[in-house]
Amino acid sequence: MIRAAATTVALAALLAIGPMTGGRQPLASPAQGEAAPAKLPAPPANGEMGFVVSYFIQPVIQGPDACPQGTSPKLRDAYLAKQTPEEHARLALKENEAELTRRWQTDSFGPGGTNICSQPDLFPDRPELRLVQSKFSWGLDLDGDSPNHTSGGHANKADSCEHDSFQTPTGDQGIDNQEYRVMGCTLEWRGVDGVAGDQEIGMRQFHASGEWTQVILLRGVNSLVRDDNVEVIYANTPDRPAADSAGKFLPGSSFSVSDRAPRNRNVLHGRIAGGVLTTDPQDILLTQTWGQGGARDIRGNRSKYDFRKGRMRLTFQPDGSLTGMLGGYRPVFDVIQSPAIGGAGSAVVAGIDCAAELSTLRKYADGIRDPRTGKCTGVSSAIRIQAVPAFVNDVTNVRTAAR
Amino acid sequence: MIASRTFRAATLALATCGSLAAGVAAVDTPGGAGAPAPSAQAATAPQFQIVAMRRVSEAQYRNSIADIFGPDVRVAGRFEPVVRPVHELIASGAREASISPAGLEQFDAMARGVAAQVFDEAHRSQFAGCQPADATKADTDCAAKVLAPLGRLLFRRPLTGAERLFYVKLAGDAAGPTGSYYKGLELSLSAMLDSPNFLYVVETAEPDPASPGGLRLDNYTRATRLGMMLWNSTPNEALLQAAEQGKLTDDAALAVIAGKMVNSPRFEQGLRAFFADMLLFEKFDELAKDPVIYPYFNQDVAKALPEQTLRTITAHLLGRGGDYRALFTTPNTFMTRALGPLYQVPVHKSAGWEPYQFAAGDDRAGLLGQAGFLSIYSHSGRSSPTLRGRAIRELLMCQPVPNPPGNVNFTAVQDVHNKATPTARSRLSAHSADEVCAGCHKITDPVGLSLERFDGIGAFRAAENDAAIDSSGILDGLHFEGAAGLGKTLASSPDTTQCVSSRALQYATGLGSEDVSPWVEALDKQFAASGYGIRALFLKVATMPETWQVKAAPLDQGATKISYAGQRR
Repeated sequence: MIRAAATTVALAALLAIGPMTGGRQPLASPAQGEAAPAKLPAPPANGEMGFVVSYFIQPVIQGPDACPQGTSPKLRDAYLAKQTPEEHARLALKENEAELTRRWQTDSFGPGGTNICSQPDLFPDRPELRLVQSKFSWGLDLDGDSPNHTSGGHANKADSCEHDSFQTPTGDQGIDNQEYRVMGCTLEWRGVDGVAGDQEIGMRQFHASGEWTQVILLRGVNSLVRDDNVEVIYANTPDRPAADSAGKFLPGSSFSVSDRAPRNRNVLHGRIAGGVLTTDPQDILLTQTWGQGGARDIRGNRSKYDFRKGRMRLTFQPDGSLTGMLGGYRPVFDVIQSPAIGGAGSAVVAGIDCAAELSTLRKYADGIRDPRTGKCTGVSSAIRIQAVPAFVNDVTNVRTAAR
Repeated sequence: MIASRTFRAATLALATCGSLAAGVAAVDTPGGAGAPAPSAQAATAPQFQIVAMRRVSEAQYRNSIADIFGPDVRVAGRFEPVVRPVHELIASGAREASISPAGLEQFDAMARGVAAQVFDEAHRSQFAGCQPADATKADTDCAAKVLAPLGRLLFRRPLTGAERLFYVKLAGDAAGPTGSYYKGLELSLSAMLDSPNFLYVVETAEPDPASPGGLRLDNYTRATRLGMMLWNSTPNEALLQAAEQGKLTDDAALAVIAGKMVNSPRFEQGLRAFFADMLLFEKFDELAKDPVIYPYFNQDVAKALPEQTLRTITAHLLGRGGDYRALFTTPNTFMTRALGPLYQVPVHKSAGWEPYQFAAGDDRAGLLGQAGFLSIYSHSGRSSPTLRGRAIRELLMCQPVPNPPGNVNFTAVQDVHNKATPTARSRLSAHSADEVCAGCHKITDPVGLSLERFDGIGAFRAAENDAAIDSSGILDGLHFEGAAGLGKTLASSPDTTQCVSSRALQYATGLGSEDVSPWVEALDKQFAASGYGIRALFLKVATMPETWQVKAAPLDQGATKISYAGQRR
């Protein structure tokens, strides 16, 4: 059965995670559970509202209670940990650092030139990652098990697997985010300074580069207070966003949805209630490009953001922007796509234990149940989204309903 | 009338031109090129007298090279700018423009680059009409067949006999040491490109049969003037042939030829150059804004602004054959993706330009509502009703405004964060309390304040420092509201059409506003009769006798004798 996290009033939650307020994601930032803005902008006469996504990053709640034992061990530390106490002590000496490095790096390679990130399945029995211990996470209630389910769609427990739920710092219950539970204590997600990890910095750079710029086009918007029938086009555009000197996207720019591969055009159905747009669950595909100068593609390897039963919950802001969450279930391998593409470099340079990450993700998978085996093959996930007003030109001849 | 009130200009500075020609002559003398001294022939043929020398602009240089040698021949280098006389056109400054030694070095580098491309293996067959007997040696006959036609195109007239001998000999002298006939041609061609006969439009005059004792511009000068005025480029083969046949001093033939030229698609290139000169587009070259204050301003925007204005002008005046006055009220313009955010309007095409029409009632009416005008007449971090008002007076109405005295205290207008004076209107009001300042600000500010709903880059704003902006304005006693109101007021002012008429005359002749002022009123009436069509205006300018009359005395021949410029037909 699915175990719901203990309910805690929002105020207590806020007090408990006080230290997070110094982090990149202040509690005051818009997210699920936030009250609808007091003053909503009027919908345009033609019912169309366009946006360019200016922020698209997995949310991390900073603070000591999330990972009290620290971040998950790197390959070096994992190698040391499996040594005898005497050998551990010897290798830990500074004068033996070169030997230690040689040995843990050798340990991350397998026969035939395989390595722990390119072929993680060949490296069994890796230690489990340190999980997020806190009960707090941002995200959406994907399986509808919270008493006041508001994340859109119907409950679908039958498709899920046993897992704990989080609650948001603002009090929403039943939050599904197993990706954060598994990956939230990695150094790449959490960072060394308690402010932001490599994940956030990298995602900002990728997003600003225009490689995977996303746009949102709402059609048929009659009211921001209540409208039960809104078409939501969530798509990639090849157009690079204009930004100010601080890197912030400039509102009012124009973008065109591309119907050429590998761009994507997702057509969703949404509804607005009290200034909050929620879409019905539907598979969502978006472009993602990892790295520059990959072996098989000089501009970096392309893959997909694949959100099964994905949905959005976005709040209209008085300044015309949108803030909120994208949630859905991601195939577990997608979560480690970036270091897997990085291959041996991810292992020996960044020390990432891709095999441990993958096996832990599989263990805590809570979605995308394989009908053949009955096992879940995906993890619930959440992406924080901010989007600024833009003029979005949809494709003129849509060849398919959703691409 | 405006002509007597505003069209003041310096007298023709022929003495300057004379010394200029002498200064440049060293380049063109055979001695300067390391060759034997030329025969001192024919410098003073009485039938043709040099009356002006006008330096070609960068655009005219580039267009000439492209027209003569093809667009794939690249011109690489920096052009020494022609200095704009105060309250005048650069076209007028070109009559007084010298070339510094450093500037000449640049011209020489460009000349060598062009010549090398023309006679490289990929291009030489287009220009070398004959094959040398031995490509490693000089071939005088063949070189003459190549260089004489090129010289005619570059000097915009046939080469004189001495010039022809000189450039052929130069090619032959260079072929020996280099062991290449084509290297010889290359050097000779670069010498032509360095010549004042190419770098300057040398205007020559002949006796005017209609005015005994008077002078008129000769046929080849007319061909060049028509080419430069209407197409901003060197005269083409048809014009040179017309000159050769004497058609350009025949009023009827001249009208036919000029008529074809203003109706040619190439007139757009000429019109762009005219308005770039009239509206001081050189200011765009140094346009800079504070990126913190104006995040919507970037290099793509800066590059697009002048093009947007020129597209608006040419589409209205040429594409739609529109009334010049409607340039100040038209809602039609063009957009790019770079400009869309600044204007906060949708742009459909991912690349390139697309037409855009502002909605009825939008304050973005006409040229004055465009970010190009609004941004160049602003400071880097704030708008300036004074600069905008002055530009409107000077550029569009030809009404010069005096410069501020050197001891002005600008503190009040620069203090944009003072809560007591939150808007430019309130700051200028405080500034103008000083009687020394008030005089000029009364001329400029009531006009420029009407544009205050557009900030220093031309982006719309309803308030400044949270204070609502009052965009009322006054021009010559007429009250109006906003940019749209200003545009309508300007469109109804006779000064705007007289101004562009005057500028067209100055642009064609290179004369100052004072010199052309006697002709402006009559020209403006004919402009009005045409429905203020720009083609009609330029056709009239190209065909009116005054355009071809020579008012001043010839240049000092003593200064030009030593130059090949003086060795005329």
